[in-house]
Amino acid sequence: MKKAALLAGVIAAALVSASGFASDLFDRINAGRYKAVLADCAACHTKPGGRPFAGGAPLDTPFGKLIPSNITPDRETGIGNWSYADFRGALKEGVGKGGKRLYPAMPYPAYSTMTEADIADLWAYLQKIEPVSNRVVSNQLPFPFSIRTVMIGWNLLNFSPSEFKPDPAKSAEWNRGAYLLNGPAHCGTCHTPKSLLGADKTDQFLRAGNLQSWVAPDITNDAHKGIGGWAAEDIVAYLKTGANRFDIASGPMAEVVANSTQYWTDADLNAVATYLKDIKGAGTAPPRPLDAGDPLMLAGKAVFTDRCSACHVSSGEGAPFLFPKLAKAPVVNGDDPTSLIRVVLEGSQAGSTKARPTTPAMPSFAWNLGDAEVASVLSYVRNSWGNAAPAVTPAQVKDMRAKLAR
Amino acid sequence: MTSSTPFRPSRRGFLSSTGMTLLVASIAGAKAAEHSGTLPWKPFAALPPQPLPGGRWYVFTADEARMVEAIVDRLIPADDLSIGGKEAGCATFIDRQLAGSYGSSERLYTQGPFLPGLPTQGYQGAEAPVARYRAGLAALAQHVRSQFAGKAFADLAPADQDKVLADFDAGKVAYPAAAGFFNLLLQNSMEGFFADPIYGGNKDMAGWKLLGFPGARYDYRDYVTAHNQPFPLPPLSIAGRPEWKVGSK
Repeated sequence: MKKAALLAGVIAAALVSASGFASDLFDRINAGRYKAVLADCAACHTKPGGRPFAGGAPLDTPFGKLIPSNITPDRETGIGNWSYADFRGALKEGVGKGGKRLYPAMPYPAYSTMTEADIADLWAYLQKIEPVSNRVVSNQLPFPFSIRTVMIGWNLLNFSPSEFKPDPAKSAEWNRGAYLLNGPAHCGTCHTPKSLLGADKTDQFLRAGNLQSWVAPDITNDAHKGIGGWAAEDIVAYLKTGANRFDIASGPMAEVVANSTQYWTDADLNAVATYLKDIKGAGTAPPRPLDAGDPLMLAGKAVFTDRCSACHVSSGEGAPFLFPKLAKAPVVNGDDPTSLIRVVLEGSQAGSTKARPTTPAMPSFAWNLGDAEVASVLSYVRNSWGNAAPAVTPAQVKDMRAKLAR
Repeated sequence: MTSSTPFRPSRRGFLSSTGMTLLVASIAGAKAAEHSGTLPWKPFAALPPQPLPGGRWYVFTADEARMVEAIVDRLIPADDLSIGGKEAGCATFIDRQLAGSYGSSERLYTQGPFLPGLPTQGYQGAEAPVARYRAGLAALAQHVRSQFAGKAFADLAPADQDKVLADFDAGKVAYPAAAGFFNLLLQNSMEGFFADPIYGGNKDMAGWKLLGFPGARYDYRDYVTAHNQPFPLPPLSIAGRPEWKVGSK
């Protein structure tokens, strides 16, 4: 009897310690799952419709094609034979297993600011996802970019790894936002313009970047080109649901919202919004809008009236949560009309989120509007209702048509 | 006559054929693709009408085309209100219409039994429009030749052309092959005058300007409360309107 009681006690103790260990590991894996969402690993490492993290769709960089690697724990084709040190090196230093240099399309300059705890959590999670055998040849770059060691020089010029240091003068929320935006969420990877070498122009932080035939608009507080007109809650609504009273996420940002930001905690969303509201824009004076009587504007107005106003409304107001507002929209007033030309030509569909699953779509107008007509309607949109931005030229439309046809 | 057996629809026949139709429809429905999650979407998705290139006739011979152009110009003569049917492209429209599925009755049931229908039920025969045009135009040409010393319809004086057409319309010229042909021609001519210009007729939206029809528009919210005021926008074709060009006015 005594013996049995002792045995029971031992078993109970073993169970408690085992479950204690398990819950500790579970918590870390679960935390890592959230960190993978914050870092939006799936954006690149999961092909649309493909197995999670088993390798992504090709990235078109100005230097050539790169294919995001398989980061499942498959030993042959994934990172199953990596050590934690290899993984940490990839994120912190841009150097993978065996000293292999990564290209900064993998945003290690951003991830290098992540805390050791966050990277450890991510590792815990990535070791527990399903291994998928899928060999990916990441490096499709032409010579000389195909030589990975060129990145040693690049890193010397453009990369100084350092963990995020909070600014004691700012609130804890601001600092959390700064950490998220610059670290795991790597917003600047798209939204900050790049130098000829493909490095962030840090003096133009978040003032619009161009990649993969999309423009990631200015998300500073600039009142004209940026989101100065958005309140913090508008930013939160956009990131959480994909839409706010002004705009709807589409293109790559729709994927960011669908895969990542809709799953963020409200605290993290508020933190990023607080930080974003504190980012100064260029603050340059808006250009003078084109005269409403300009022949280009008259032609553009005719096209807008006939083809656009049914959804976006003749005043450019759109309809909240359904059709984006064009009046005073950052993407409309930005210097670079890439995204505007693109959505007019090929159409666009809003991303689906749990909160807003409807996915309203814009039809393609490539079949109906010629290059000159797309140019004039966009010039009209960019210079009406308080908007002011350089006119779009037919040559720009022609170029985009050719790019999208490839 | 293709069928000699009179067709007598019965209540039982109707019910059983309807039931069969519903059964087939529901089986087909069970095989339909299912979508869950987001609506499918593809870039550049569009199914625009494909206008046929101009500068040629697709169905009509040169003689037939000349004759049809002369006919549509009498059905819709040029006057101080609008251009005539020929200049508006009605013959071009009909030619392209016949070149498509309409011309071969591709989307109609054209097997027997054939019964005489009421006038309101339209043509009840087996022939497709292309064949009806061929036979009708040939009969009309033959009629004109015999009545006007070997002349072609297009060479008659307008008054004579009108008389020929009026006689045809009134059934005074009996050619079995051309039964109902006049109404077909009149109907297609009107379609050509008022259909979207991308189909070859209604040149410069002349028919729509005549009526004050605003064209293929779908948003009138700015104007619904402006009662008793003319709609200010010019007509709009599927292909656009002249004002889309920079410096058009």
